[in-house]
Amino acid sequence: MTKHESAQPEIDDELTAYLDGELDAASVRRVEDRLARDPTYRGQLQKLERTWDLLDRLPRADVGEKFTKSTLEMVAVAAAKEAEEVNLALPKLQQRQRLAGVIAMVAALAVGYVIGRRAWPDPNEALLRDLPVIENIDLFYQVEDVDFLRALDREHLFEDAEGDNAS
Amino acid sequence: MLRQAPPAIVPPKREAPHLAVSESSAHRYQLQDPDVRLMLKVRDDDAAAFDELMLRYQNRLVTVLEHLVGRRDQAEDLAQEVFLRVYRARKRYVAGAKFSTWLYTIANHVAANALRSRSRRPEVNISARATESGGFGTLDKMAVAASGAMPTRQMDKAELRDVVREAMQGLSERQRMAVLLNKFEDMSYADIASAMELTPQAVKSLLSRARVNLKELLEPYFDDGTRPQ
Repeated sequence: MTKHESAQPEIDDELTAYLDGELDAASVRRVEDRLARDPTYRGQLQKLERTWDLLDRLPRADVGEKFTKSTLEMVAVAAAKEAEEVNLALPKLQQRQRLAGVIAMVAALAVGYVIGRRAWPDPNEALLRDLPVIENIDLFYQVEDVDFLRALDREHLFEDAEGDNAS
Repeated sequence: MLRQAPPAIVPPKREAPHLAVSESSAHRYQLQDPDVRLMLKVRDDDAAAFDELMLRYQNRLVTVLEHLVGRRDQAEDLAQEVFLRVYRARKRYVAGAKFSTWLYTIANHVAANALRSRSRRPEVNISARATESGGFGTLDKMAVAASGAMPTRQMDKAELRDVVREAMQGLSERQRMAVLLNKFEDMSYADIASAMELTPQAVKSLLSRARVNLKELLEPYFDDGTRPQ
């Protein structure tokens, strides 16, 4: 790379922009006025213009059908690959959707269970609670007075019977 | 084969430039630039539109890339990469600039990556190769021998072309890109700035330095046959 340290970079910028048609109307008038009266300035412009015109000597490419064909083939391969990726990605997506559905279903079931338990208590709980009475129901039928049964209980007369049942 | 390709909608692996634009700007570019209209058809998976865009730009793109990287074979590889990226980015395309500006933004990225990779690998440069093969070795003598008025006219066209090519390689990568877009693509400072992701003021300075550098590289050759270093 050339290390150029121009003594007048602003003039270079101005002349370049002038040659590139990038100056506003007022700047163009100012540059053209100076070009008309300043031969050094005019010489600088001509040198810049001459080297710029030399770039027209650079060859232009003409790639031909082979390049076109191979590029289109590359793009077609890319298109086919994209399509394949879409097809491969689709089952994964469906799997994720299924998994999400299963999780949602399990969550819904859990919530439903909790609500159901609160709304409709388990009838077996009452049976378990009343099990000692149920087990001794024949004995209780022989005694019509509940106060008498309570008196017997206070004397611990049922403990042997419960112990026998437990064993 | 391309026409049979299904409309795949997989996001591209590499990001292509995406411009946030207003609807009015997009509409304006659509009206003004026929290539934008073609690209919008490509976005809708019109393969014929892609063919058409490729045919319009392939020579121009390879020309710019060849003078940017200095090698024709690499330029063709890079141009194919650019077209591939255009295709992959089609679904995200918005008419935020002229089509050529968008295309050369991609080309600038692709070329910069390639030049970075190449700079990490030692390689014989063009001048050295040419000298070894005898292609450029005698040029200095010939140019000196061809002294006298208006040496440009006396020089062989092919020789002059090689000298100009060497001078181009003497510019920095960014200067070269700005020069090529300005000279070969006739792009404005604003469009070059957009393609190279610079400010228009930076492009103005870049082109000014490039012109001065070219002048300094080429003048000695015309004066006494000294080739650009």
